[in-house]
Amino acid sequence: MKNLTQNPLALSGLIIIIAILFIAIFAPWLSPYDPNYIDIQSILLPPSLSHFMGTDGLGRDVFSRMLYGSRISLLVGFVAVGIATVIGTFLGAIAGFYRGYTDSIIMRFVDIMLSIPTFFLILAVIAFLTPSIWNIMIVIGLTSWMGVTRLVRAEFLSLRNREYILAAEAMGASDYRLIAKHLLPNSLTPIIVSSVLGIASAVLTESGLSFLGLGVQAPQSSWGNILTDGKEYIQFAWWLSLFPGLAILITVLGYNLLGEGLRDLLDPKNKNQKK
Amino acid sequence: MLNYLIKRLLWMIPMLIGISLISFFIMHLAPGDITASESAFNPKASEESRQKLRALYNLDKPLTTQYGLWLKRIMKLDFGNSFASHQRPVLWETKDAKGNVTKGMIQDALPITLMINLIGLLIIFSISIFLGVTSAVNQNKWPDRLITIIVFIGFAVPGFWLALLLMYWTGVTHSWLPISGLHSVGYEKMGHIAQYVDLFKHLILPVSISSLGGLASISLYVRNGMLDVLQQEFITTARAKGLTENKVIYGHALRNTLLPLITLIGLSIPGLIGGSVIGESIFAISGMGKLFFDAVLMRDFPVVMGILTIGSVLTLFGNLIADIGYAWVDPRIRRGISN
Repeated sequence: MKNLTQNPLALSGLIIIIAILFIAIFAPWLSPYDPNYIDIQSILLPPSLSHFMGTDGLGRDVFSRMLYGSRISLLVGFVAVGIATVIGTFLGAIAGFYRGYTDSIIMRFVDIMLSIPTFFLILAVIAFLTPSIWNIMIVIGLTSWMGVTRLVRAEFLSLRNREYILAAEAMGASDYRLIAKHLLPNSLTPIIVSSVLGIASAVLTESGLSFLGLGVQAPQSSWGNILTDGKEYIQFAWWLSLFPGLAILITVLGYNLLGEGLRDLLDPKNKNQKK
Repeated sequence: MLNYLIKRLLWMIPMLIGISLISFFIMHLAPGDITASESAFNPKASEESRQKLRALYNLDKPLTTQYGLWLKRIMKLDFGNSFASHQRPVLWETKDAKGNVTKGMIQDALPITLMINLIGLLIIFSISIFLGVTSAVNQNKWPDRLITIIVFIGFAVPGFWLALLLMYWTGVTHSWLPISGLHSVGYEKMGHIAQYVDLFKHLILPVSISSLGGLASISLYVRNGMLDVLQQEFITTARAKGLTENKVIYGHALRNTLLPLITLIGLSIPGLIGGSVIGESIFAISGMGKLFFDAVLMRDFPVVMGILTIGSVLTLFGNLIADIGYAWVDPRIRRGISN
């Protein structure tokens, strides 16, 4: 943790994410209006002192909707990546630990999943379920675990024949103990880094899906579906497009900075390179 | 090399079967019966005609038999006809008894998406090699820092948002560029050169948006690869024997950095095809992405399955070509494999 503050990349990423976390938690207190309150008298007002980010086509306050939207992006990011990390770590651990046929089968499955265009897969599944935030999180999770599997497997393969593992095995440690107590803790670095970077891409995917109308459904607000309105009113209301996009950009930037910063910090190879 | 090729081709068979399995079973995740959505378009569809549909798509048989029959059909490249869109063939043109040709939907859409992505790849490579090399050569100086910031922002910008802003700026407020479709009204009456100019103008925005993500990741890749290669001994040798810095960088280091990029192109194909959905929907371009999206909204299930399968097969072939290309240019890999 002490090192974290010395790495400018990681630090700026961390600050961004803590700020978003703060906004998401305190959204009800921070927002000046009810995000779903429809006010026909103030449709498509440009940004002003009473509406910091203007109002949308139904007269709802965009600033309040943006604040609540941060909750969606946090939730989707963490839950989707949580699912992907659990699946990926589990499969990667089994493949790397048992090797042989188990490994071949799992890795071929990974290859197959990687060759299906992910966004197509997500769209196809979501279209046949009903679009909702829960379905989105599950589907993004189920289609993005392959990278983690490869990482964990590679890590396990390189650790598997280290002496301390062989020693533990010789002392009669069970497979479960070997994996959970010895191999996993030593493979945490790449898992953490790839999860943080994974959140960034999950946030982007969710906003894209919501933008297409297959994600978070109105009246619930998400940065993606505010942008859908932005597209509709692009000739009259630039503020509907500008702010949500900026919010997505800053969020994704935050996770990427933190992820890359952590990679630099935790990877001993990089430390030597940079002196 | 021949052994490698054969082995690589044989590997594709289980992969293809796996892909077809996944595409097939996803469609059956849908709650209810696909004929329900089909008849929803046509309220007059009677129970009798729904029965006919079920028989046509073998929906009355067990799932495994259905899969077998579907697999048999797609081996003959027959992906069936669309439920909507005047029941056009999904993949390729067909002739009816009177000799009327109906063009296939993927046949029409695929070249458009390929064109946009190939031009995009060209742009990505020319710009990102320049950015990556500049960054690596000036490591930790201001050009490197500037490029790194640009790369990070490039990673984080949602493409569709930038597309909206560019549409607004170049299309709505200034009318510099057309913002939808690939051709202007009256395209057929234009001369050849005017047609190319028209197409070019329509392509500027979609191509720039589709290259954005790749630009960032490949620049970063070239930068890190160059930094690795520049530390190796043959670079020191090249410098020691008095080569100019330009020759060292472009003649020796860059060539070795670019080798793995060939594999990267192969790996980027599914992302490019998948990424085409949002871009093509925004700019109203009837490529694979828009076709897929429309089919998904209409639950046009033969089209969805067809594109899912064709898209994955394209990816497989892309990877195959990339692997062969890599083995072809890199003797280490070629020898290692033929042993």
